[in-house]
Amino acid sequence: MAATRVEPRAREIFSTLEYGPVPESHACALAWLDTHDRLLGHYVNGKWQKPEHRNAASCQDPVTGENLATFLQAQEKDVGAAVQAARTAFESWSQLPGTTRAQYLTRLAKMIQKHLRLLWTLESLFTGRAVREIRDGDIPLAQQLLQYHAIQAHIQEEALADWEPMGVVGLILPPTFSFMDMMWRVCPALAVGCTVVALVPPSSPTPLLLAQLAGELSPFPGILNVLSGPTSLAPALVSWPGVQKVVFCGAVEEGRALRRSLAGKGATLGLALGTESLLLLTDSADVDSAVEGVVDAAWSDRSPGGLRLLIQESVWDEAVRRLQGRMGRLRSGRGLDGAVDMGTRGAAAHDLAQCYVREAQSQGGEVFQAGDIPSNNPFFPPTLISGLPPAAPCFQAEVPWPVVMAFPFRTAKEALALANGTPRGGSASVWSERLGQALELGYRLLAGTVWINAHGLQDPAVPIGGCKESGSSWHGGPDGLYEYLRPLGTPPQPPYFCESLNYDTFGLAVPSTLPAELEIGSSPEPPYGLFVGGRFQAPGARSSRPIQDSSGNLHGYVAEGGAKDIRGAVEAAHQAAPGWAVQSPASRASLLWALAAALERRTPALVSRLERQGAELKAARAEVELSVRRLRKWGAQVQAQGHTPQVAGLKGPVLRLREPLGVLAIVCPNEWPLLAFVSLLAPALAHGNAVVLVPSETCPLLALEVCQDMASLCPAGLVNVVTGDRDHLTRCLALHQDIQALWYFGSAQGSQFVEWASAGNLKPVWVNGGSLRAWDQQTEGAGPELGLRAARTKALWVPMGD
Amino acid sequence: SLCRALLSPPDLSWISRAQVNQPAVLRRAEQVQARQAVKKAWQAAWLLKAVTFIDLTTLSGDDTSSNVQRLCYKAKYPIREDLLKALNMHDKGITTAAVCVYPARVCDAVKALKAAGCDIPVASGETRGYGRCHPNPHGIGWEHLQKEIRQFRKASGDARVKTILATGELGSLTNVYKASLVAMMAGSDFIKTSTGKETVNATLPVAIVMLRAIRDFFWKTGTKVGFKPAGGIRTAKDALVWLSLVKEELGDEWLTPELFRIGASSLLSDIERQIYHHVTGRYAAYHDLPMS
Repeated sequence: MAATRVEPRAREIFSTLEYGPVPESHACALAWLDTHDRLLGHYVNGKWQKPEHRNAASCQDPVTGENLATFLQAQEKDVGAAVQAARTAFESWSQLPGTTRAQYLTRLAKMIQKHLRLLWTLESLFTGRAVREIRDGDIPLAQQLLQYHAIQAHIQEEALADWEPMGVVGLILPPTFSFMDMMWRVCPALAVGCTVVALVPPSSPTPLLLAQLAGELSPFPGILNVLSGPTSLAPALVSWPGVQKVVFCGAVEEGRALRRSLAGKGATLGLALGTESLLLLTDSADVDSAVEGVVDAAWSDRSPGGLRLLIQESVWDEAVRRLQGRMGRLRSGRGLDGAVDMGTRGAAAHDLAQCYVREAQSQGGEVFQAGDIPSNNPFFPPTLISGLPPAAPCFQAEVPWPVVMAFPFRTAKEALALANGTPRGGSASVWSERLGQALELGYRLLAGTVWINAHGLQDPAVPIGGCKESGSSWHGGPDGLYEYLRPLGTPPQPPYFCESLNYDTFGLAVPSTLPAELEIGSSPEPPYGLFVGGRFQAPGARSSRPIQDSSGNLHGYVAEGGAKDIRGAVEAAHQAAPGWAVQSPASRASLLWALAAALERRTPALVSRLERQGAELKAARAEVELSVRRLRKWGAQVQAQGHTPQVAGLKGPVLRLREPLGVLAIVCPNEWPLLAFVSLLAPALAHGNAVVLVPSETCPLLALEVCQDMASLCPAGLVNVVTGDRDHLTRCLALHQDIQALWYFGSAQGSQFVEWASAGNLKPVWVNGGSLRAWDQQTEGAGPELGLRAARTKALWVPMGD
Repeated sequence: SLCRALLSPPDLSWISRAQVNQPAVLRRAEQVQARQAVKKAWQAAWLLKAVTFIDLTTLSGDDTSSNVQRLCYKAKYPIREDLLKALNMHDKGITTAAVCVYPARVCDAVKALKAAGCDIPVASGETRGYGRCHPNPHGIGWEHLQKEIRQFRKASGDARVKTILATGELGSLTNVYKASLVAMMAGSDFIKTSTGKETVNATLPVAIVMLRAIRDFFWKTGTKVGFKPAGGIRTAKDALVWLSLVKEELGDEWLTPELFRIGASSLLSDIERQIYHHVTGRYAAYHDLPMS
């Protein structure tokens, strides 16, 4: 018999049946760090860069405090070099056929397959997350993402023929992120032909390793460049020419600051903010399974953040008892232990949770903590807070990991009001065994993702995004691809930043207008006033502005709208929005077609007004005709909404819903006074939005002309048209907190202001940066881009089984 | 406590309210299966503990006294003595929980165990009060089913009653939950997944639902009912998953032979192989370990 190894502990364990450590060897991660002498620079253009005289940030093991590696912090010129590399690579990478890019992504997936242990131990070692989640969840998902996007690249020429890649994409990641956040964004960007410069916090080597793996494969090493550095380098990243898109995921306030600092810089900004999610537990639910859902959502390393938990009153006691029992069995410990449920997220996350819990306690919340937790600092126990009234100050604050804030509700209606009453709109789950109730809640929750009787499921084919302050960018699925595409043939937007623009005074005051000479109207005047709430109303300021025709004569007076009028218009729109959103596609289509018919009948009046504005008769006729066609086109397209993605490993459908944004504000350009107005209005209405519109500043009479028909055809408040000083009205709209999206087609300064001001409620904005748009062309005037921007996606997961 | 359960009137609203979400339970089962519960010393100790839960079973048509005798000796000496010594566990009296044979072989088994000088119980559900309830609860209603089981309970007197649910035939996990409740309300001391000889035997999703029913019943009545999965549990790794499942869903107090049994025949030899590997650091050859 072979020599025996004596095991003294077995006897003891036999009686206690306790769990023991399942350590995961991370020798390969350390060995990889050693090959870099524990000093990590940047991976740019397929090479490791270790520039001299840079600040070094040393990074410690979050549990032992042992020094793991030192990261060199990038400076502006490093960013410049990376952007240059990415630009050079973009020249050739974007021109490759999709099939070649597909092969490359597949090879990268295979490359990852060869270094699995290195990846998962490295990630767990530095982030402190449970290695089990990274090994069994993240890494397989990363490979699926590469596979899915390889397929998308392969069919790009057919499926996305009218689109082209944007250019260089800047990716900014916060310190508390997992490398999956990077994969979700890098994969679609590379697939469609963009190249990437990623700015990662100087504490995560996994993105560098990924860049190295990608760089070793590719004949175009500059497609993925990774720099370590602080988020504050973002403006520097954007200031280099060629960066067309900046993607950020992280905390809400950081996103807000970034939105402000990038205003006018020319790059579009995609924000995915906040980590909190929501779980709605109704009395018909399988409570035990819902408790597992709570564990998935907050007390595991699958979840990014904390949870707001709404429990129906009648099952409150039962649910809380089960939750508390389950919490007691959670194990926390070093992430590299294969048996722990929860690792640590470092000292910052600990302090955040600690601070939140203390505050909740002081405001009257009951705190319950349990679980098998090491007592030293970085670990924070699973926490359940209850009894905090919604009026308590910390009720509105974002719930941090690993905290669950529970509160009761009486009816499903009340649950919706409570759930939709926060500024966040990320992900939510509904637990109910009643199909009707579950779907009703699923459809009416304001969130980017809703799972029914599940929480936290993900798939590359299903878009993930949000609404409200959770940001409006998407990753995954077709929506994730469009983030990095622009319509074919449209030139990249030049920067329109103006250093001297004063945000405090822009559009603040309306230049006063004096009455000019008498009007000489060739055609009958449209009714005077602002078209608000379905009728023409006198402006709050009780003053008017003269409109001149092309020869400088007075064409007529229009009402001078102001802040109060905008407020009234937005209120009216909000009243009309819910009713319009639930209209069937057929009735939306019929309204648009009726509008088209009315416009057609009005052709002579419209043509003569256009002529007075200086248009040739032929051109004027064409503009009216095209406007009619646009209304019909969007009416016909209303039907084609949403689709059902196929998801591996899930029985049951995932519905990709296209939901209305709510109240959409549109500032029309001066040129094409009728066509631009109609081209913007039609997709907005077709997708179920209520609209507040500022028509062409120089020629608003055509829009008012159309309003006469809308007064009789549209529900009151669905379309509101406010005339007046464009800058002033833009200021009112951009600063309004209850407008869900804003499209602006005006000056460069106005665009910059809109972007800056939108940080308030983080509404998605679409600005022209002062450049003209070819409204008579199909792509720019009626392309799919408008439809994409006029609605938001929601993924509704409906697993099935009995 | 038994009397309390018997006296409690059937709570049919509880049964009709019960809801189990199958896809969610399947996901939980996947999570439980994917986790590595224990390693090294912990694994060895857990596996030895698992041995004490085993109802060592032979239910074949060709059973004779000789193979039943072999089985009984294996039940008495489940792990090689020197391996136990190396683990300092030789004085713990580790045997399997019971021996399970067909009624016709009970005498052989009792004789063999007596010869081996031990008091391992012999189980053969069929000997006393064997019965099969109405197979279709939908046809007769849960209330009726409960009455039927209650009659078996009465007929068995002081003996412990184990109800086999034949979960593969119940159609849905919600029915598994309801059937478990009905069986417990009628006074069963143990509920078992299946006979072990069916097409669908002990699966983790079914077990999760039954364990939750046991816990809910305990919370409501204070009565601890035992759980026995049977069929398809063949490897040491399986056994560890089942132990950790019971530990997770019910807690340590259920990890005793009075409340948890595993019906298995080939599991024991795999556990012994793992223990051999743990002690010696080598993988055992077939002839290194005594057969049962």
